[in-house]
Amino acid sequence: MRKYFLIMKRECLYIWRDRTLRNIIIFGPILGILLFAYVYRMQVIQDIPTAIVDLDHSSQSCELREDLEAAQNLKVTDYPADYSDMETMIENGDIVVGIVIPEGYGKNITLKRQTRILAVIDGSNITFATPASSAIMEVTQTISAETGIKILVGMGMTLDEAQNAYQSIEFRQEAWYNPTLNYAYFLILALALNIWQQCCTLTAAVNVIGEIGMSSWLQIKASGISKLALFGSKSIVHLTIFMLLVLPVYFLAFVVFKLPLHCNFGLLLLFTFVFSIAIHSIGTMMSSLTNNAVDSSRLGMMVALPSFVLCGYTWPLEAMPAVIQKAAWILPQTWFFQGYNFMVFKGAEFNMLSYYFVAMLIIALVCYGISIIAVSWLER
Amino acid sequence: MRSITKIAYYEVLHILKDPILFVVVFLAPIAYVTLFGAVYFSGLLSNIPMAIVDLDHSELSREIENAYANSPYFNIVEDVDTYEELQTAMQMGEIRSGVVIPEDLQKNTSLHRHTEVLTVYDGSNLIWGYNIQKKNIEVIKQFNSENTVAYLAGKGLSSVEISSIVNAVDFNITVWYNPNINYTYFLFMGLVMMILHQLGLLSVSLTVSREKERHSWSQYLSSVLSVQQIIMGKCLPYFIINFFNYTLLLWISAQFIHVKIEGGVLLIIILGLLYDIIITFTGFFISLKAYNSLQITRCLLLLSIPLFFLSGYTWPWAYMYEPISSLGKIMPYSWMAKGFRMVTLKNLGIAEVGVIILVMVLMALAAIIINVTFNKTQKPVQETPLSVNAGNSYPRKRHV
Repeated sequence: MRKYFLIMKRECLYIWRDRTLRNIIIFGPILGILLFAYVYRMQVIQDIPTAIVDLDHSSQSCELREDLEAAQNLKVTDYPADYSDMETMIENGDIVVGIVIPEGYGKNITLKRQTRILAVIDGSNITFATPASSAIMEVTQTISAETGIKILVGMGMTLDEAQNAYQSIEFRQEAWYNPTLNYAYFLILALALNIWQQCCTLTAAVNVIGEIGMSSWLQIKASGISKLALFGSKSIVHLTIFMLLVLPVYFLAFVVFKLPLHCNFGLLLLFTFVFSIAIHSIGTMMSSLTNNAVDSSRLGMMVALPSFVLCGYTWPLEAMPAVIQKAAWILPQTWFFQGYNFMVFKGAEFNMLSYYFVAMLIIALVCYGISIIAVSWLER
Repeated sequence: MRSITKIAYYEVLHILKDPILFVVVFLAPIAYVTLFGAVYFSGLLSNIPMAIVDLDHSELSREIENAYANSPYFNIVEDVDTYEELQTAMQMGEIRSGVVIPEDLQKNTSLHRHTEVLTVYDGSNLIWGYNIQKKNIEVIKQFNSENTVAYLAGKGLSSVEISSIVNAVDFNITVWYNPNINYTYFLFMGLVMMILHQLGLLSVSLTVSREKERHSWSQYLSSVLSVQQIIMGKCLPYFIINFFNYTLLLWISAQFIHVKIEGGVLLIIILGLLYDIIITFTGFFISLKAYNSLQITRCLLLLSIPLFFLSGYTWPWAYMYEPISSLGKIMPYSWMAKGFRMVTLKNLGIAEVGVIILVMVLMALAAIIINVTFNKTQKPVQETPLSVNAGNSYPRKRHV
C-alpha cells in the first residue's frame, strides 16, 4: 500500500514541478469559464440594430415606423436618408436589418392599393440573421393583419368579423428547456468543459512516455514495481486531479453564474468522472504510441480539438452525413456532451443515460488495452 | 541570399524527416478541412423531427397537420398521440418540435371563442431552437394567410378584393449575402482561417525550440550569419507552405464544399499574404522565447477555442464585455476572419476592407519588428530548472 502511495506522491510532485502543465491545468479551465461568461454576458439576442428608410414621411409611414420600433428584439438605431445609405450601413455591419418604406405608401394605403415594403437582413452572421428573420416575420404579420382589418372595417364589415378573418386560430410558441433561447446557458459551461477536457488530455499525454522514455525507467524496472502498479497509481492521481479541476468550474457555473442544472449534481459528477476516465485513456494511448511528449501532446490535441465540432453539441449530429454521424460516436466527447445536454437541460436520469456510461467505459477499455499492448510490445 | 536558401533548405529537410511535423504542415490542414467540410456540408437544417398531438381530430386540425406536413423543413414523426408522449419524445431527443392541437379547436373556432394551438420546440440546442422558431413562423404565417383568404371568400368577396386586402402591405423580406441562411457559408471559412492560424503557428513555432533542444541553436548564434538571414531562412519555408495551404484550402472549400467565395482575387491574396506574414513571424518569435517545444504545443493548441469565440465571428463584439472584446481586437485571427467574410461573402472592395487591411499591415510590421530585436549575443531562454517527466525529449527506444 505504501508503495502505491509513494508512486502517487511522486506523480503529484512531478506534475507540480512541470510549471507549464501546472499553470495550464490550474488556470486553464477557470480562466476559460470566466472568459466565456464575459463573452456571453448579454446572454440573448435582442436589440438587433435596425435602420428604417422612410421615403414617404406620411402619417401612415410614421405609424408604421412606430410599429417597427415597438417590435420585440429589434432596436431602431438609425433613420438613413436613402437606400444607398442603408446599403452602406449593412455593408459596414452597423445594422443587421434595414427596412425601406416606399414613396406613396400612405397614399396607397388610403386608396387601398397594394404597397410593397422592403425588409433587408444581413445574412452574413447567422447568430443575428435567424432571430432577425423571425422578428421581422412576426412584426410584418401583425402589421399586415392590422392593415387588413382596417380595410375590412372600411368596407363595412364589423370589427369582430374583420378580426376573425385574421385571428381565427392563435398559435403560441414555447421553447422548452431554455425558454429565452439563452446563449450563455447553452455555451458557457460547455466551452469551459471543452477547455477542461483539453487540459486533461495534455496531462494524460505524458502518462506513459513520461516514464518509459526516461533513464529512471531502468531503475523502476530494477526495483520490481509492476507496470500495473506504476501506471495504475499514476492514473489515480491524474483522475483525482481532473475531478478537482472540474469542481471550481461547476461551482462558478452553477453557483456564481447560476446556469441551469436540471439533474442531480451527484449524477453529473459521476458522468464527468467516467468521461475523465475515457479522456485519460485517450491521452495514455497517445503517450504509449509516440516517441516523445511533444508528439504525444500534438496527437492528443489533434483529436481533442475538432471533437467539439464533431460531437454535435452545436451543429446537430442529425444534420451531418451518416458516415460522420457514426464516426462521431467513436469519440468520448460526443457521448459526454450529448449526455451533458440531456442532463443539464432536460434533467435526464441514470436509466436514460446508462448506455452513455457504458459507451465511455468501453472506449476507455479499448484505449487502455491498446496502451498495454503497445508498452508490452516495446518491452519484448 | 545563398545563406537564406541554405537555411531554408535544411528547414525543409527537418519538415520532411519529422513525420508528425510533416503531418501538421501538409496533411492536417487538408484532413481538418475535409472533416469540417463534411460536418457542415448540408449547411441547412431540414427534416426537423416533429410530432403533432391532435386532440381534436377535426377538419381544421387536419389542415394544420397538412400545413406542417407540406413544409419542406419538418418531418412528421408518427406514434406520438398524447402530450406526455410528446414530452418524453422531446426529452429523449427523438423529436425537436411539436404541435399540440387542443380538443374542440374547430368548435371553438366556429363559435369565435378564444383558442390556441401550442407549438413547442427544443431550446436546449440553440441551432435547433432558432431555426425551428423561424420555420414555425413561416408555416403559421402561410396557414393564417390561407385561412384569411378562405374566410373572406366565404364572406362573398371576389378574388381581386381578397388579394388587395391580404396583400395591402406586402413585405418583401430579403436576406443579403446568405439568402438561405446557410451555416456552411457562415461558419466554415471561419474554421478554415482558424486551422491555418493554429497549424501554421504550431509548425513555425517549433523551428528555434527544436534547434535549442538539439543543441544546434548555438551554431546559428556563433555563425557569421546575420540575424535577418537566420530569421528569413527559418521563416521562408513556412511562409511559402502556409500560403500554399491558404490557396489549397480555399480551392477545396470552393470546389468541393461549395462555399461562397466571391470578391476580388487581389484582395483575397493580400489578406492571405498579410495573415501568412503575421502567423509566420509571430510563430518564430514564440519559438525564440519559449522554453521548449512541449510548452509551445500545449499552450498554442489550447488557445484555439478562446480565440475563435473572442474574434466576434459568431457572437458580436458589441455584445461582449468591453475589456474582453478589446482582447479579441488585438488578435490577428479576428481581423482576418472579419476581412475574409467581408470580401468573399459580402463581395466588398478596398473601400470597405481598407481599415482591416491597414490593421493587418500594422500587425504584420509589428510581427517582423519584434523579431528583428532578437540579438545573437543575448543569453538564450533557459530550460525550466527541473523538467522531470515532462521534458521534451525521450529517447524511448534506447532505454526500452
